[in-house]
Amino acid sequence: MNERCWIAPVDDVPARATAAASLTDSDGAPAGWLAAWMQRAKPVRQALRADPRIVDPAGPAAWISLVLAPPGFALPFDDLAVQQARRDVLARRPARAVSTLLRDSSHFEGAITAADEPVGDDPFARLFPARSLRAGPGLIATATPPVGPTIERYGSANPWPWDRFGPT
Amino acid sequence: MELPFAPGDPFPDLELPDHNGNPRRLVALAAEDPTVLQFFRGWWCPKEQRFFRRMVALQDEAEVGYARFVSVSVDPPAVSAAFRAGLGARWTFLCDADHRAVDDLGLRETTDTLNDPFVPAVFVLAPGLRVHSAYNGYWFWGRPTAAELVADLRAVTRAIRPDWDAPTPPA
Repeated sequence: MNERCWIAPVDDVPARATAAASLTDSDGAPAGWLAAWMQRAKPVRQALRADPRIVDPAGPAAWISLVLAPPGFALPFDDLAVQQARRDVLARRPARAVSTLLRDSSHFEGAITAADEPVGDDPFARLFPARSLRAGPGLIATATPPVGPTIERYGSANPWPWDRFGPT
Repeated sequence: MELPFAPGDPFPDLELPDHNGNPRRLVALAAEDPTVLQFFRGWWCPKEQRFFRRMVALQDEAEVGYARFVSVSVDPPAVSAAFRAGLGARWTFLCDADHRAVDDLGLRETTDTLNDPFVPAVFVLAPGLRVHSAYNGYWFWGRPTAAELVADLRAVTRAIRPDWDAPTPPA
């Protein structure tokens, strides 16, 4: 696969995104847009790679927990805290969709967890600050729950829970 | 009873609800990885509870070894979800509450007419649902030890990973 899946919160309607959804905060105030691109090149500076199964341009609205590392911060994927967060995701009732977010091949820089109700306890929110947002229709898929017990990533450049080896 | 599937046989694909009620197919759960497929009687059996502790201990290795576990019983999803959570298991449990698969597979334990469960059995599957090894666990000692499962998973992994012998720089 030559294309990658990129996700980023942006201020305005993205021009050439594969999918996009408006965002509102928990009080209903506009909070920009969440955009996804399927392409090799990074589309915008703040974009992070995600498991492409989280994106569906026909997907209905969803609540999301968007965890993003503060600028300049990242954790190695092998950090015990990141490992434990993934174990917790596997142990719990599966979300509608979940993906870790990364920029390079070895660092965890965030996660997105989608559900039909507000995400109450996101294991990834223990790692970096989380925002609870309502994403409009047009981006969030209903993905098959990840299969355990594997937490190792399939090819170090692939975002978990991507579960196949393949070109990165 | 003799298990209906032996090493080298194809294992049939299954479509059953998981412990959360989501429809799942075995071929998708196993994908392209070595898979331990376990059929168990039910949460109430002390032998299953003991064997599951062996599986739970092994999952910490499986989670970094690209191996998958799937457990199957006739318990309904709510029971399987509670049992799974109590065990601390992080793999998928499939639920054959209507006893369809247990008969299709020929794995009904005929000596238990109260629960009509699966006969305890463990299959280690290679990609494509090809049976690599089969263990009849009707008697507890028929079940695989952790060392036997590791050996099976090593053999399957060695067979399917062309880079098993770590690539080295050309001389």
